Amino acid sequence: MALQTIPVPRVVRREGVVVAQHIREGRFQRSLAIIAALSSLLGGLDVTYEHYRGSYSQRVMYSPIVITPLLALVGVWAAFNRRVARTLLPLASIALLVDGVVGFVFHLRGIARKPGGWRLPLFNLIMGPPIFAPLLLSIGGFLGIIAALLRREDDPAEDRPTPSPLLLDRKGIVHRALVGTAAPSWLPRGIAREGIILDRDVREGRFQKLLAGAMGVSAILNGAEVWYSHYKNRFSFRVQWTPIILTPFLIVAGFGALFSKRIARTLLPITSLLAIINGTVGFFFHARGIARRPGNPRQIVYNVAYGPPIFAPLLFAATGFMGLLAALLRRTSK
Amino acid sequence: MQTPLLGEFQAPSDAKHWYSPLMRLDIPMQRYAHGDAVDYVIVGIGSAGGVLLQRLAKAGFRVVGIEAGPFWDTERDWVSDEAGSHKLYWNDLRITGGKDPITLGANNSGRGVGGGSVHWAGFTPRFHPSDFRVFSQDGMGADWPITYEDLKPYYELMENEIPVAGPAYYPWGDPHGYSYGAHPLGGVGDVLVEGCNKLGIRVVAGGPIAITSGSHGKRPHCIYRGFCIQGCKVGAKQSTLVSHVPDALRHGAEIRDNSMVARINLGKDGRVTGVTYFDAEGHEHEQKAKNVIVCGYAIETPRLLLNSACPGFEQGLANSSGTVGKYLMVQIGNVVIGRFDSLVRMYKAPPAHALTEEFYETDPRNDFVRGFAIQTVGPLPIAFAKQMMVAKGAWGWGLRRVMMDYNHYAALGVLGEILPWEDNRVALAEDKDQFGLPVAKITFSMKENDKKIAAAGVKKTKEILHAAGATEVDEEARYAHLIGGARMGNDPRTSVVDSFGRTHDIPNLFLCDGSIFPTQGSANPGLTIQAVAARTADFLVSEREFASQHHPRTTSAVPRIRYDLSPGDTAGHGMPRLKSRTPRTEVGIGGLAPDSDY
Amino acid sequence: MKVRATRDHAGHDRRVRDPRTGQPLAPKAQPGYYPGFSTIRRQKFWDAATRAVVLKRVNQVPPIRFFNPDEVRLMEALAGRIIPQDDRDAAHQIPIVPHIDHRLAEGIIDGYRFEDMPPDGEAYHLGLQGVEAVAQHMYQRGFVDLDPGEQERVLVTLHDAQPPAGDAIWRRVAAQRFWMLLVQDCIEGYYAHPYAWDEIGFGGPAYPLGYMRLEGGKPEPWEKDERRYEWAAPAWAISDQFHPLGGGQATQPAGQEGTH
Repeated sequence: MALQTIPVPRVVRREGVVVAQHIREGRFQRSLAIIAALSSLLGGLDVTYEHYRGSYSQRVMYSPIVITPLLALVGVWAAFNRRVARTLLPLASIALLVDGVVGFVFHLRGIARKPGGWRLPLFNLIMGPPIFAPLLLSIGGFLGIIAALLRREDDPAEDRPTPSPLLLDRKGIVHRALVGTAAPSWLPRGIAREGIILDRDVREGRFQKLLAGAMGVSAILNGAEVWYSHYKNRFSFRVQWTPIILTPFLIVAGFGALFSKRIARTLLPITSLLAIINGTVGFFFHARGIARRPGNPRQIVYNVAYGPPIFAPLLFAATGFMGLLAALLRRTSK
Repeated sequence: MQTPLLGEFQAPSDAKHWYSPLMRLDIPMQRYAHGDAVDYVIVGIGSAGGVLLQRLAKAGFRVVGIEAGPFWDTERDWVSDEAGSHKLYWNDLRITGGKDPITLGANNSGRGVGGGSVHWAGFTPRFHPSDFRVFSQDGMGADWPITYEDLKPYYELMENEIPVAGPAYYPWGDPHGYSYGAHPLGGVGDVLVEGCNKLGIRVVAGGPIAITSGSHGKRPHCIYRGFCIQGCKVGAKQSTLVSHVPDALRHGAEIRDNSMVARINLGKDGRVTGVTYFDAEGHEHEQKAKNVIVCGYAIETPRLLLNSACPGFEQGLANSSGTVGKYLMVQIGNVVIGRFDSLVRMYKAPPAHALTEEFYETDPRNDFVRGFAIQTVGPLPIAFAKQMMVAKGAWGWGLRRVMMDYNHYAALGVLGEILPWEDNRVALAEDKDQFGLPVAKITFSMKENDKKIAAAGVKKTKEILHAAGATEVDEEARYAHLIGGARMGNDPRTSVVDSFGRTHDIPNLFLCDGSIFPTQGSANPGLTIQAVAARTADFLVSEREFASQHHPRTTSAVPRIRYDLSPGDTAGHGMPRLKSRTPRTEVGIGGLAPDSDY
Repeated sequence: MKVRATRDHAGHDRRVRDPRTGQPLAPKAQPGYYPGFSTIRRQKFWDAATRAVVLKRVNQVPPIRFFNPDEVRLMEALAGRIIPQDDRDAAHQIPIVPHIDHRLAEGIIDGYRFEDMPPDGEAYHLGLQGVEAVAQHMYQRGFVDLDPGEQERVLVTLHDAQPPAGDAIWRRVAAQRFWMLLVQDCIEGYYAHPYAWDEIGFGGPAYPLGYMRLEGGKPEPWEKDERRYEWAAPAWAISDQFHPLGGGQATQPAGQEGTH
């Protein structure tokens, strides 16, 4: 395994092995809940000033501002509280996921209502509402939902399937009548069966394909956002091309991992790691861009809001993080 | 790509009247008969007239607006072109003279529904509390019969209706915030911010301007095309045409466009009975009305009063004080232009988008009273070439050469206060217009204090440009907005109207526009004109309530603020904002306004 | 449009020069520092009303109705000095006089008249006589027949508001006001034309398509980077040196265009 060959201090390596083991077995609910919280927080900060630039001219623009801190709070809480992880966390996560989709529709509409509408797609996409940004925000929700389905780090390591949270009642006790049977009875049988399998796979850490695919989608959205944001700035710095160059590799790695275990174990972690590094470097460059704007330090608040979007590169890094996580997971049992 | 998707853009295919790309007139306009004495006739549907028309109609009055210019169909009438926008201005003849003759037309006079708000750049700073007490504090100029606190709720109201985009904290005057977010900076804004910052001067970026930074109902947000003063086809910049007129028509107001009011008619009882006007075909009509409100701005309002002279008012209607036409002001509007080695491209972004009011107030260290503001301006090529003709004396090959460097220049505007002087005035000339009406003759001269403010403003602006890295700096003398000519006051012997715009002489004749301002500050007057109009409207509505209670007429009563009279699409947009708490009637010490103790 | 020769009848080279070699530069289809930039090529992105106005300006030059033939010749000569176009090839020169003639024939004014000025049309008739009087006084020839350098020296007397002849005329129409009127009218003709926008790198009409690169002077995707070259006015020219209106004698007159 790749991790074991890297020359690192023994303590770190031992911890690393434990973490990897946890992930492989789907026992990382607490960490993922924290990560979902962080991702949600970042996205929330980003959308706060982006929507400020749009003057919160529609009431619905406040919705991500309300939901993201909520998910952040619930995510952290879930790291300490098993029941919150099984109840509030999925609720808040679904809320953010849905909000992102709703936002996407509103952004589509917003572009259509600009002068020239979709007949000037590039300009209105760049100067209008950022079309994919709401879907990127949804990633936090997606991670939160997965976290809700996972086992916790301190759960027993045995391979015996643990009960699905869908089968728990309000007190967190398994509903006896439902054990081993099915999901809610109103679901069509086929979907219910798939759902149960998926649910179990996630709990057991066997959802590499799911996460890699999600990473692929996220890379497409993120790459598009980066491309038109940097295009707006005319790619004035050569380094602005780096995320654009990286994006196709991320997409290939993400979707390739659906078909090839090899890609999942090689290209996926490498490109993902590069994306994380790239996002971090981007964060630095964006911070520098803000620092170089006129009027600092007095105009720092204005310059954060209107300079290069400070948190956007970290969202790119979050995509890489998803890929890295996927690389460590197991594939489906089928 | 040389074409948009689906080919070139076409004119709207329907016959509807368009206010902006998403807004059209969807119901037939109310029509009143000439003999039908409507509640209000409003002469001039501009910044103030548009607001009054909307509010009075919404309050249930029967209102007719008579406008000399056209009712613009923005999709068909307006163009994204400098020379093609000539029709937006008041181009009828006026005579200008005095030692420092002011220029009019494109410089400061609008025409057509929306009036000046169609071609303003959209800067919307409030007046400072000190602006209302200039005479008390500085011993020059005049005091207003109202204070800042009287107007403040209307500032807040109009800032939401317009809506004004600006910083979350605006530090000067009465500090406050804006519910619409600031705009991104363009090249000229960067220059102003950079220069001010180097010199330690506070500056605000991205507003306050009457341009949407987020969509506002059916008005899209700004596309940063820079053609603000050519009429905003986008509908992002507010004119009362997009913000108030649609709501007014929805509530049963009528607008008669291309109709020039010739005179206001006075009845035997000393009350006005209506107006006589020429329609688009030149036919003369009389519209009966119970009340007349004149909103013609600083030249046309006095001109109409003077042209309406009649037995009992030989010197002009409502002119028993003799002050009609007097105390006319313009603002110092010098343009200071800096050349930069790097490109600026100042035609992008709204011309108005950053300013500093650091030098607004009287400073005891100066040898003059009052002050100035410094703002971004972004002249388009024709305006810039004309500025270069004056600033550099450019012509011939020199003009061609500086114009080839157009994209290297950044232009900043000084906006300085000129105090009201009795001999700066509007009178009637011998020349007649196409209707046979005597045209206005404007006499204007700068006084010592005015000249000192201009010089100080130019000096400071040059410093800012140099600090921002300009390699050469030139200056063009210019005058901006008109104010005054029929000022308000408590004393009928020295003023024309009271604080609600009611003429001292005639109880059912009102004036409401920039002409009634006693002083002007160094703030662009557009917002204050609209705020004063909203206040007058509230007064008129409250007067109806008094009347129904057989209450004696009173002008001292403070009318209730009618938040319910805002246009229907005002609520539900923007964000909560910082509202300052103003200490009431606190007078500054040592010539400093109470807000200058930061 | 009248085609101007690169050399006038007296053999003066009208072309701009390379300042290093002193050699004349060939007239260009598009002078200025933005080669290849064309606003008119973007016309399908303009709204229909704007497109109609701009294309009419380009394609339908109004016929002369106000000036008489002699005045037209004089106006052409004046416009050729106030906004010289000798660096433009014949096909890309911008008509200025028809624009001024159209305005005067239609009686379009800017909304005011200075009290010391007659109406614009009369001011032009008088002012042209005044120019002619100055030319006769200085060179004993008509303005049209002067060398371009001499023409500039005639005009500079107006620029300085000190015309040496024609006092009777200049009492009726103030020389400086006439000069500003003339220069402004020429500016309105020249810089309203898409060729001039291309020359100076101005983006032209911008609706419904606006701008996205607001800062740092960055060009839009369809705009061009600046590519400067050195050029010098012809040797006889004095108008490439700036000196203030009124020759620094009088106070500077106020500008006349609204910008804020």
